[in-house]
Amino acid sequence: FICCGLRITPVNYSLFGTLSIKLSKDIKIFKDVFPYPEVTLDELNDMKQFVIPVEKFFNEEVDSQKIDHDGVIPQETLDRLKQLGLFGMLIPEEYGGLGLSHVMYARLGEICSQDGAIAVTLAAHQAIGLKSILLAGTEEQKAKYLPKLATGEYIAAFCLTEATSGSDAASIQTRATLSEDKKYYTLNGSKIWITNGSLASIFTVFAKTEIIDSDGFKKDKITAFIVERNFGGITNGKPENKLGIRGSDTCEVHFENTKVPVENVIGEVGGGFKIAMNVLNSGRFSMGSLVAGMMKKLIGKTAEYACTRKQFNRPLSEFGLIQEKFALLARKTYVMESMAYLTAGMMDSPGFPDCSMEAAMVKVFSSEAAWTCVSEALQIVGGLGYMKDYPYERYLRDSRILLIFEGTNEILRMYIAMTGLQYAGQVLRKKIRYGNLRVAMEHVSAILGDSLNRKVSLGLTGRDGVVHPSVEESANRLEENVYYFGRTVEVLLRRFGKTIVEEQLAMKRMADILINLYAMTAVLSRSSRSVRLGLHNHDHEVLLTNIFCTEAYFKNLYNLSQLEKYSSENLDEHIKKAAQLVLGNRSYTCAHPLERIF
Amino acid sequence: MNCVWRAILAWDHSMGRHFLSRAVPGHSPWQPEGSCLLQGLSQFPRGFCSSAARLASDSKQVPMVKPSAVSTKALEPYEDFFEQASGGQRDKTGFSRAVKAFAQRDMRKRGHVDFIYLALRKMPEYGVQHDLAVYNLLLDIFPKEVFVPRNMLQQIFNHYPRQQECGVKVLDQMENYGVMPNKETEFLLLQIFGRKSHPMLKYLRLMYWFPRFKNINPFPVPRPLPKDPIDLARHGLERIAADLSARVTVYQMPGPEDLGANPSQPHIVGIQSPDQQAALAQHNPARPVFVEGPFPLWLRDQCLYYHVLRADLLPPEERQEDKEMGPERNFYYPMQLDLDLDRGPWDDYEFDVDEVEEGPVFAMCMAGAHDQATLAKWIQGLQITNPALAHIPVVFRLGAVGGELQLSEHQEGQGQHNQEREEQVSPKEDEEEPSQAQIRHQGQS
Repeated sequence: FICCGLRITPVNYSLFGTLSIKLSKDIKIFKDVFPYPEVTLDELNDMKQFVIPVEKFFNEEVDSQKIDHDGVIPQETLDRLKQLGLFGMLIPEEYGGLGLSHVMYARLGEICSQDGAIAVTLAAHQAIGLKSILLAGTEEQKAKYLPKLATGEYIAAFCLTEATSGSDAASIQTRATLSEDKKYYTLNGSKIWITNGSLASIFTVFAKTEIIDSDGFKKDKITAFIVERNFGGITNGKPENKLGIRGSDTCEVHFENTKVPVENVIGEVGGGFKIAMNVLNSGRFSMGSLVAGMMKKLIGKTAEYACTRKQFNRPLSEFGLIQEKFALLARKTYVMESMAYLTAGMMDSPGFPDCSMEAAMVKVFSSEAAWTCVSEALQIVGGLGYMKDYPYERYLRDSRILLIFEGTNEILRMYIAMTGLQYAGQVLRKKIRYGNLRVAMEHVSAILGDSLNRKVSLGLTGRDGVVHPSVEESANRLEENVYYFGRTVEVLLRRFGKTIVEEQLAMKRMADILINLYAMTAVLSRSSRSVRLGLHNHDHEVLLTNIFCTEAYFKNLYNLSQLEKYSSENLDEHIKKAAQLVLGNRSYTCAHPLERIF
Repeated sequence: MNCVWRAILAWDHSMGRHFLSRAVPGHSPWQPEGSCLLQGLSQFPRGFCSSAARLASDSKQVPMVKPSAVSTKALEPYEDFFEQASGGQRDKTGFSRAVKAFAQRDMRKRGHVDFIYLALRKMPEYGVQHDLAVYNLLLDIFPKEVFVPRNMLQQIFNHYPRQQECGVKVLDQMENYGVMPNKETEFLLLQIFGRKSHPMLKYLRLMYWFPRFKNINPFPVPRPLPKDPIDLARHGLERIAADLSARVTVYQMPGPEDLGANPSQPHIVGIQSPDQQAALAQHNPARPVFVEGPFPLWLRDQCLYYHVLRADLLPPEERQEDKEMGPERNFYYPMQLDLDLDRGPWDDYEFDVDEVEEGPVFAMCMAGAHDQATLAKWIQGLQITNPALAHIPVVFRLGAVGGELQLSEHQEGQGQHNQEREEQVSPKEDEEEPSQAQIRHQGQS
């Protein structure tokens, strides 16, 4: 029977794609995620050598408190970062960069995350700022700009957001008009919240251009441009005063009659939308390791505190409620780390697979975990955490942005669910071709089968299973979730068809389940590998895996029941109604509890 | 035996339950036939669930008893007494003065029932029909503790029925005018009639229903209505617009001398929402817009007149579809699912509704005068915020001020518009272009 859902590989070869109970033993569905991706020993040694100086620099020379207080990264720190080559991590070696693989980039990100402002500055430069040149630039453009960007002589910024346009491409107002002699474009407009806006010398700007489409109609389409600061007409607004990542440079950038030569168009004219989307999609995967790095540091600090601080003649670490928090921190960190490196590993695998959905899942999971975990860590240290003298409140402020930038988590959930549904829809369409009677019969038999509580096996466990027996139960739970999720998605698609896009609450639940499923897969894969290799403390990994998988399993079950039409857990209609009442009045509607009529 | 039976029926009836009387078809227990112990009680044989409609007829039945000759003055009907005592002031002070004068002039409160009926009738005249304090004042006229039943029998039968009936009438009028009793009312009723009495029952019923209905209107009209015509117009416009983003603009304040019937500078208050503004900006200048009105709007007992600026419905071929949600719309996720399955019938909660399509309404206004010159000023004011309006011909289709009847006439026949005054006028007539049938407005801003 067909189970629709998560797609892991780009080629229509899926993790939870088409699979039938009968065929499941033949199809290696978990091909790309089992075993957990590895790097060679040489690469690992290289990486370790590389990591040491960076780590040393961050531990000894970066004063995060000062950066946060002053709201600016000192020039000497930036210079040191440039010397270390951190501005060219993703640029290939032939252009003077480090040419790191995604895994290596994730590893270095772990260290950079010790200071949020620096991490964001670096990410804005290379994960999005110069990414469009890397992805879609011509040879000439690469040769001209990448070497200087790699050394950090030029800093890049990504200019997409406008006051009127967040994710809506149609409302972009910045406009580029082609000159009479067709040699340059004149750029006019303003972009807001541009990270590195005043530091940058190279801007990737997305603007509307008029093009004539195949039918001969004039149309506005988005085009990407490389704009150098010395093209003229570029001014910056004052630096924004932000809640967190205060050291990073965020400001408005205004373009006034900036002349951009036609050679500086990235990709083709009118192809800016795809470039923007690809850049945004490819930049997200590193957040998992970034947060994991931050969390590891926080765990160290808080554990130190919990074991030394005594109350009632006992250290805090002996109290159950404190222990619970540490288990949470460790578990979430373990999961996001596993997801991040699994995704990075998949992205490094040959054929440049499209892992944008997985990257989005990593981003959503890790940003939310960061917010809860930092908050819990702050809670462990109590009132101390609230004080500016300690770093906890800074971590809390810094981590808040993670839920917002690079696509808000809400919008990414839609992306995750839509991508999953797109695939599931294809599968469903194939199925429907068989004709109605057969579909109906299959449906009935499947329901009958479910009611007999059939054991679901997708081939993860058992004699030829890829999962280690110590996490077998968790793997079974994953399989069961996957199976029933597929069934639910199918029912939802039959119920709503393409209008499911409007059912955002259902989409959100689907995305949550998908994220959990991917997280479960990642930890199962990683812990199986660790046990088989006999890595240090692998029993701890097994423990964390089992805790997380059980927890996620029950959360998934709850989400699945919320997706059922008539279940008592499904409160969607009520939730919508409550929200509409508030929004209709644009205020909280209930009478004050002290109010009386007579 | 008949008497006992009747007594039981009287009790049954007065308690508002009619089991027994219903059980005796064809026999009306209230016909005064034969003498009976209870005749005195059944002289006033009405149930106490009397309706408002009976108020007038009831009070007419009450014989106009002349006030007693305790005072040294000549005999006078209460009507005149009331007029005199109020000192000619037709407001709350006058009314209270009259009521207090009655309460003080005779310790025995002779004729108080008649006086209360009269006062109830007079209340709207004095404009105090919504005033709880006045009702309490009226109830206060009743002598205290005299009518409170002292034993079971008195409780079962209508004790002092005329007085009880009168008390109920007071509460009845409160109900009709939507005045909610308060603790003081309850205290007075307890003092006058006691707990087991019909006015008290009425009070309890009022207090059961009134709070439940008090805030049932999701669009409450302020009470009292504002006196200022601008505030009133603001309320009215916000009510019709039903859009929290809509902005009210006062285009012209009334001049100080404009209180007369024919003001030289009438007030002009308009409302327009951002959506309407955007729709007007996109309006095709080749098609005229119309100023239509006046249409009536009732706010409680006040009738306001409003005008709308609207256009005809576009023919289907000219309608611009909403900017389509192409695949390249959202940077973060595709907003369309490539799937040829539609929503199943079991999940389609949309009703099949035939919607009458109407042309867009761009703005509304309320003005002190309904003539074209005033409304042209409104259009001029609108041009400041809607520059596009300067290039759109404006046609005035103004009817006469009338009641609801004229409105329905107005709506029924579109052809009647032409018979009414239909004129095409520009606020600035000197810039007329004679070649065009319709006159273009030049931007005033």
